[in-house]
Amino acid sequence: MSRIDHSQLQGNILRGYRFGLVRHMLLEVTDRATVRAFLGVAAQGGGAEVPAITVDQPPDKTWPRDQKPASCFNIGLTFAGLRALGVAPGDLATFPTEFREGMAARATKLGDFGESAPRAWSQPFNRPEQIHLVASIHADSTAELDKVDTQVSRAFAVRGRLDGYALAQDKVYFGYTDSISQPKFSHVKDEVEPIDPYGTVLLGEPTRQEGLKFGVPTPQVLGHHGTFNAFRVLRQHVTAFEQYLDRAATELLNHPDSALVLPLDAQFSDGEKPLDRHGMLREVVAAQMCGRWRNGVPYGSSPDTMPDPASVPLTEYDYGRGSRCPVGSHMRRTNPRGGAIVQRIANYTRRLVRRGMSYGPIHTEGDSEPEVGLLGNFIGASLGAQFEAVMCDWLNLGLQDPDITGANDPLIGANSSETSWFDVTLRNGGTIRLRGFPRFVSTRGGVYTFLPSMPAIRYLARLKG
Amino acid sequence: MQRKAGWLDKFVDDLPSQGWFQFLSRHLVVPYWIWRDPKPVLPGGPRPSVQPSESVQRMMNLIMPLKDPSPIGRARAALAISQNVDEIFAGLDNVGTVHNARFLLLDGNICMLSVYDGDFSNYIRDFIATIGSVFDAVMKEVEGGDAMVPTTEHIEEFIDWVCAHDLFQAPDIATDLFNLQDAAKGIAPGSLPHDLRLLPRELILQLHSNPNISLGGGYRAYPGYSAAQVRQKFGVGW
Ligand code: HEM
Repeated sequence: MSRIDHSQLQGNILRGYRFGLVRHMLLEVTDRATVRAFLGVAAQGGGAEVPAITVDQPPDKTWPRDQKPASCFNIGLTFAGLRALGVAPGDLATFPTEFREGMAARATKLGDFGESAPRAWSQPFNRPEQIHLVASIHADSTAELDKVDTQVSRAFAVRGRLDGYALAQDKVYFGYTDSISQPKFSHVKDEVEPIDPYGTVLLGEPTRQEGLKFGVPTPQVLGHHGTFNAFRVLRQHVTAFEQYLDRAATELLNHPDSALVLPLDAQFSDGEKPLDRHGMLREVVAAQMCGRWRNGVPYGSSPDTMPDPASVPLTEYDYGRGSRCPVGSHMRRTNPRGGAIVQRIANYTRRLVRRGMSYGPIHTEGDSEPEVGLLGNFIGASLGAQFEAVMCDWLNLGLQDPDITGANDPLIGANSSETSWFDVTLRNGGTIRLRGFPRFVSTRGGVYTFLPSMPAIRYLARLKG
Repeated sequence: MQRKAGWLDKFVDDLPSQGWFQFLSRHLVVPYWIWRDPKPVLPGGPRPSVQPSESVQRMMNLIMPLKDPSPIGRARAALAISQNVDEIFAGLDNVGTVHNARFLLLDGNICMLSVYDGDFSNYIRDFIATIGSVFDAVMKEVEGGDAMVPTTEHIEEFIDWVCAHDLFQAPDIATDLFNLQDAAKGIAPGSLPHDLRLLPRELILQLHSNPNISLGGGYRAYPGYSAAQVRQKFGVGW
């Protein structure tokens, strides 16, 4: 048994709730006494007017893991939020620089420029100083979301609301099945990846790199077993993506090496109807860009056909020398697994817990298509060593392998059609270089938050002055 | 700042060239303007670019002040390097992104100069994860170093400290000064008109806030390939 007390952790860190709906409320503390009182009750099981903060496992085990409450409620605080609640300046200074500066200030590292620049972010992200807390409500009905929303709204000034939902079959926009790979903190069957130490997400616990400890903010009760979250509102340009798949498939169809991309007698369906060769090549491009076929099957395990995901292991694979999963694919960039990388000591050190739901459509006048996308949470004990490290050297830039250095993630990278390129792998070990695709995912907003432990929330509630 | 350039502005603008003014300006005029029009400290490091393909190389010009700048202290620092230098350089192999590195003693400072690829924080973090325990011997000779030993347990502070002592992270203000100043104050570049005649004064005032600056540069004889790309090209494995 681990020595982690699961009753003292917020419930959205080590596992996903798997509800159908989410609402993220962006909140400002305008009356700190009211907010402290709210947090005090919320962290002690809630009350008539205050929702309970959901823990990883309730101490009295009143709800077994498989029996859900009607809704789950969790909070994350920005640096401005900790200050607004009255955390002492000396303690505030012990939080890591990237968190103190906030996501908008880190735009260069995160590839947020042009239409993704913080200056262009939608409300309320263009006023980051007003965002003190992000409260996340998960439920299966809007009525449940509204119930908690009403309670929260009494204690805070609400600066924004973002509603998300799970698409059927764990899909995200662009048509991929998501929520398959996650760090694993205990042994799971069919897993070839090493178990991730709790320090991947909990401050104060050992990390993957022996001896390397992330700083725990003071006082101990505030920092211990807390973690950080990069909350991102990511717009997905679905039409541009599908149009690009058309274009790339046509290019590969007419390419002299077409048979090396996909055998000429290949035959598979999209799950419902058989695909023609152009349709199959579209799927190959989509699969190579991500690292999984859109139905979730790892591309490297079956590069010549898209099998039924129920028939193959989804996480039991590695990236050996001969893997046809491109080094430049989204998944290999964000988790190179055991594959060779330039930064030899970095395999498995930049792991991220991902919790995301889709959002939209949002109709804005003058916009060519309704906005849809992903409300993404990227959680880890160090924003700098995990989220930012992935974003600036691996996802964009591609320093981990000389064959992709200078190119960005084809699926979500900060691309521009003038300079983008991506190498499709061939059956003989060669590649075909695709060029000229635009940026398919742009940033609409985001904040860095600190996800405190339950004792830390009670500490915040007790602050004076 | 949208003031009209008056006699006081002209007075300050002429400062660099008027020898007899220098005493007065140093002790009276510049302090007055610093009080009247304080400048934000500018951030350093690479600028945003649409695609990072232009050059992945960065330099580190790390100037670490010695606790004891006397010949005895300098000798101790020299020993801390020479006793560990093989391990440090072997460690750089494992960091994987380093082109070259050297140490030197410069007055009362021990300096590490290197060329590496990609993100600054990742470089320093990987460096410490690989050879932090060896580098601790060097940090013990450096002013303020004790508080960061062992570096593996003070990784965030160490990164911030290096950033503050790395001249490559100094702002590059010889170009585009007005826009940089505006951005540091949260004003969109280009949204305020600036009087070019005020440039010398702005530069003097900015140098008060940023004692160390970079004066442009960036000459390259070839595109900035990564160390791994070069190794791969010459077939020595990456
Ligand atoms: C709208 C934007 C994004 C989309 C559509 C997207 C899509 C996907 C898909 C389809 C997968 C494979 C499913 C799975 O293995 O669970 C995946 C995996 C992953 N993504 Fe993303 N992603 C997005 C943004 C990001 C960002 C911003 C990051 C982080 C920096 C990220 C990090 C990861 C990681 C770490 C994995 C798992 C890789 C592995 O463990 O093998 N993703 N993503």
